[in-house]
Amino acid sequence: MLGNLNGNKFRGDASVLDKALLIQLGGSIAAVALLVAFAAWMGVARATPPLDAEAARALVALEFPDHKPDAVWIAADGAGVIAREGDLALVLYRRGDSYVARDLPWSVIAGLKPTNGRLPVRLGDARPVFAVNDDVWPPKELA
Amino acid sequence: MLKAPFDPVQLAIPFFVLAIVLEILVGRFGKAKANYETRDTAVSLSMGFGSTVAGLLFGGVVFATTVWVWHHRIFTIPMTAVWAWVAVFLLEDLTYYWFHRLSHERRVWWASHVNHHTSTHYNLSTALRQTWTGGVAGTWLLWLPLSFLGFPPAMVAIQKGVSLVYQFWIHTEAIKRMPRWFEAVFNTPSHHRVHHARNARYLDANYAGILIIWDRLFGTFVPETDEEPCRYGTVKNLGNFNLFHNVFHEWIGIGKDVAGSKSPREALGYVFGPPGWSPDGSRDTSHTLKAKWRARLEAEGSPPQ
Repeated sequence: MLGNLNGNKFRGDASVLDKALLIQLGGSIAAVALLVAFAAWMGVARATPPLDAEAARALVALEFPDHKPDAVWIAADGAGVIAREGDLALVLYRRGDSYVARDLPWSVIAGLKPTNGRLPVRLGDARPVFAVNDDVWPPKELA
Repeated sequence: MLKAPFDPVQLAIPFFVLAIVLEILVGRFGKAKANYETRDTAVSLSMGFGSTVAGLLFGGVVFATTVWVWHHRIFTIPMTAVWAWVAVFLLEDLTYYWFHRLSHERRVWWASHVNHHTSTHYNLSTALRQTWTGGVAGTWLLWLPLSFLGFPPAMVAIQKGVSLVYQFWIHTEAIKRMPRWFEAVFNTPSHHRVHHARNARYLDANYAGILIIWDRLFGTFVPETDEEPCRYGTVKNLGNFNLFHNVFHEWIGIGKDVAGSKSPREALGYVFGPPGWSPDGSRDTSHTLKAKWRARLEAEGSPPQ
């Protein structure tokens, strides 16, 4: 567009510039894709074995150091934890090879209904799904 | 004098790519600590790419303003003098320190900078997790006094690039400690791990670019301790790997808070207060988190040293 306003020479320069820029941007996108694929192929993420009782308690203590939950429930697949401290639910779920912690009113968690062994929890910026045995909710540990 | 004859960051890009490949390999073969999660890496590298595009869009405004200020300079500093390069190295690094500190301690600038800290990993790809909204946040204005003093815009741009390239290699867990004299003067992987940590002990520390002396001078230096390994990310880690959520979440948070504020004072607090500020003090700031951490340690009978 600027080329039309400024004559042929500028149009030529602008098109070379545009081409160089496009090549650079295209090359960058390709490099990003290749590096991500390489990282995935190499498999160097942290190990995230299913949480057992000890690991779950340690994780809750680390993420909620000012809380003393009365009970801790571990998802059936070991990928998440819901702890209860009175009227508060302390929620931890796996995201990639790390865990995300959120707290919300216990009444919200208690009112959820699992289907086919899945309990989706609506949070502000995510909707983690917890694996539940027998579609019984809330579990006896937390009730 | 105006436009830099070369861009250190552009020149270093092949090195960045090779270094990331090398870090992944040393992690894979157990030669050093290095973890890469695929989606986390994708977000980091996409942020780096996007920040280059954002820089192209906003670069004209920054360059034009810098040139305008330089035309109104106090002194004329030659780009060929060694003393001028020493001076710009020190002054740019000092500017970086204050830019970085403001970017952590005031929410409006944190909104632009937070996405550099959202990775729960600390590897070389994290270094490329750069802001898209720095131009809008206006932190680049902090470098204008250098041009007003008389440093040519090209000189300032080159030094900013050198600082950015220097800071790339310190984003790694593969290097434990550098020699003592180096740790005393320069920013290192150990010092910068502390800066990226979300442990209460390590919050709001080690803002240095190249020289760690600024943190030691202004009281923000915190050493890494072996007893408490760094846990990375933000105090409240993001719930997803959505790139655009990563870029804009804090801006959206500010917008919601300002829209719901009951007075102009509250609105100003939400924008210019520390991250986590709220009128009733119901949210946590770095300050309250550190206070709680100290109280816990004291209750356990082991107050922080």
